[in-house]
Order: sequence, then C-alpha cells, then structure tokens
Amino acid sequence: MLPLLGRGLVAGGLGGLAAGLFSLLLAEPLMDKAIRAEEARSHEHEPAGGAVQHHEELFSRSTQHAGLVIALVVAGLAIGVLFAVAYALVHRRDPRGNPWPRALAFCAAAFCAVSLFPALRYPAAPPGVGDAGTVGDRQQMWLGAVVIGVLGMFLVWQVYVRLAPRAVPVRQGAAALTAALVLVLLWALPDNPDPVPVSATLLWDFRMLSLASHVLLWAVFAAVFGGLGLRAVRAQAPVAAGEADGKPEPADYGSVAPVR
Amino acid sequence: MSLTSAHGAPHSDTTAIQSATIQTRDWLIAAAAAIVALIALYAVFMDNGSLISATGDYLHEFAHDGRHLFGAPCH
Repeated sequence: MLPLLGRGLVAGGLGGLAAGLFSLLLAEPLMDKAIRAEEARSHEHEPAGGAVQHHEELFSRSTQHAGLVIALVVAGLAIGVLFAVAYALVHRRDPRGNPWPRALAFCAAAFCAVSLFPALRYPAAPPGVGDAGTVGDRQQMWLGAVVIGVLGMFLVWQVYVRLAPRAVPVRQGAAALTAALVLVLLWALPDNPDPVPVSATLLWDFRMLSLASHVLLWAVFAAVFGGLGLRAVRAQAPVAAGEADGKPEPADYGSVAPVR
Repeated sequence: MSLTSAHGAPHSDTTAIQSATIQTRDWLIAAAAAIVALIALYAVFMDNGSLISATGDYLHEFAHDGRHLFGAPCH
C-alpha cells in the first residue's frame, strides 16, 4: 500500500508539473488576453468610475501565473494519493498483475471520470466568464459531474469484470455502452447558467488547451506510475527467482518481445 | 516470494499477526492521506474564502488561473 502511495505522489506531482508548465507557456497568454478583454468590457459598461469591479486584485498577474503551476502540482499530488488508494482497492485481490497495462487502463478510466466527462458537460471557461453569484450552484453541478464520472467508471469496470465468461467483443461492447450511458446521464444535470461574453475563437482555443493539459497530466501520470511499478517488479524479481531455483531470471513484465 | 506470509501459509501465528497489523496500519495511513488529499483539492478547486478569508479569497485568487484551466467553476 505505502509503495503505491509513493508512486501516486511522484506520478501526480510530475503530471501536475507537466500540465502546469505546459499551460504556463501556452494558456497563460490566452488568459491574460481574456482578462484584458474583460477589463475593456467592464469599462464600457461602467464608464462612471467602475463601482462594480470584476474582483479585488489580491495578487498580481505574475503571482497568479506562479499560482497556476503550484495549484496544478498540489492538485496532482492529491489526485495521486486518491488514485493510489483506488488502485489498491480495485486490485486488492490480485496485487501482482503487470503494473504497466494496469496503470494505463486505470489512468484512461480516471481521465474519463474526472477530466473528459466533466469537461464535455461543463467545458472550461476563460477568466472573465463566470458570475460570482452562481459560483456555488456551478460548483455543485461540476462536483455532481465528477461524482457521476467516477461512479460511472466504477460501473463500467464492474460490467467488464462480471461479463468475464462472455466473448471479448461482448464484454468490450457492453463496457463501451455503459460509458456512453454515463456520459448521457451527465445531461440530467442542469445547464451552466452563465453567459459567455467572449469571442468564439478565444473560447475554443482555451477549451482545447484546458483539455490538452488534462491529457498531458494523465499521460505523464500513467507513464510514471506504470514505470515505477515495473521498476519495483524488476527489483523484486531476481530475489524471488533466486529463491525458487537459484538462478536469477529477467522480469516477466516490461518487455513486449523476448530480449535477445 | 517476499509477500508469502501475507497470502499463503504463514510461518507462524506471530508473522501472520504482524503482517495483518502492518496491513491495517498501511490502510490507516492511506485513509489519512486520502482525507488530506480531499482537503487539498477543496482548497485548490472549491474554496471561495471559507478556509482563509481574513479580507478576501486568498486561496481562490492564488489558484485562480489553475481553476479556470482545470475547468473548475470560478467567477
């Protein structure tokens, strides 16, 4: 359990750092542009002194740029812990499976559950979009989407496990159908009530970059988590093999073809 | 096989109890870490001034860009 927690922390930290640096380079110019456009809009509407400002500027933009990276690293670490616990619970009956395909499959499911599905229902919005008066409602909807995503992916996994005696196409088809139904279920949640007063190009670019940073986070996460798992197996394998017949053998996992 | 005592026949009752204790301890540590992780996620993505709010939304404003980018609701 504890090695898994360690792997989750390392993978989450690196995944969050990769996503943070990626968006610092590519998404921050867009967010700065969105904030300038927002300020221009609020000046148009309130020429007489701007009593209703967007929000108090507690931090400078450059501090918020650093805050982006730190927020994503902290989020990555936290996601890594929860990921490791879920991974250990799901695989508790058979903790010795090949860690690489397991990490890839688990990360794909987690990406759908907490990144892709919520993002399809409530796409990311650049700064300047979002009413402070509806933020509580929008948080409940977003949290609802994440919860439906996580429970839905759990259901997909259960469908896949329980159909084990059936043919592979039946299992995979049923799992895909379940995932599609979970996605449809997300539209039972209410729509985002806020207007989106920014240009369609900026909105599209921002949403693509947001999704890209999610993909990057989970890709790095999967590679690090799976890679560390393989390394742990390799470290154990010679000892185990040596106990068995006195002759160290290479690990079973990690090589697609026999090494010659 | 280094984990045999946890799954297969234990060498003695003592080792079985020891490994069960270690497993319980590890799961308790994992549960505590999960709670800390949930609090951290709340602070980054959900807080609107209820955690640190002397005069404003410090956490919200510091993580402002990260929230927008991650798709978390913001104002």
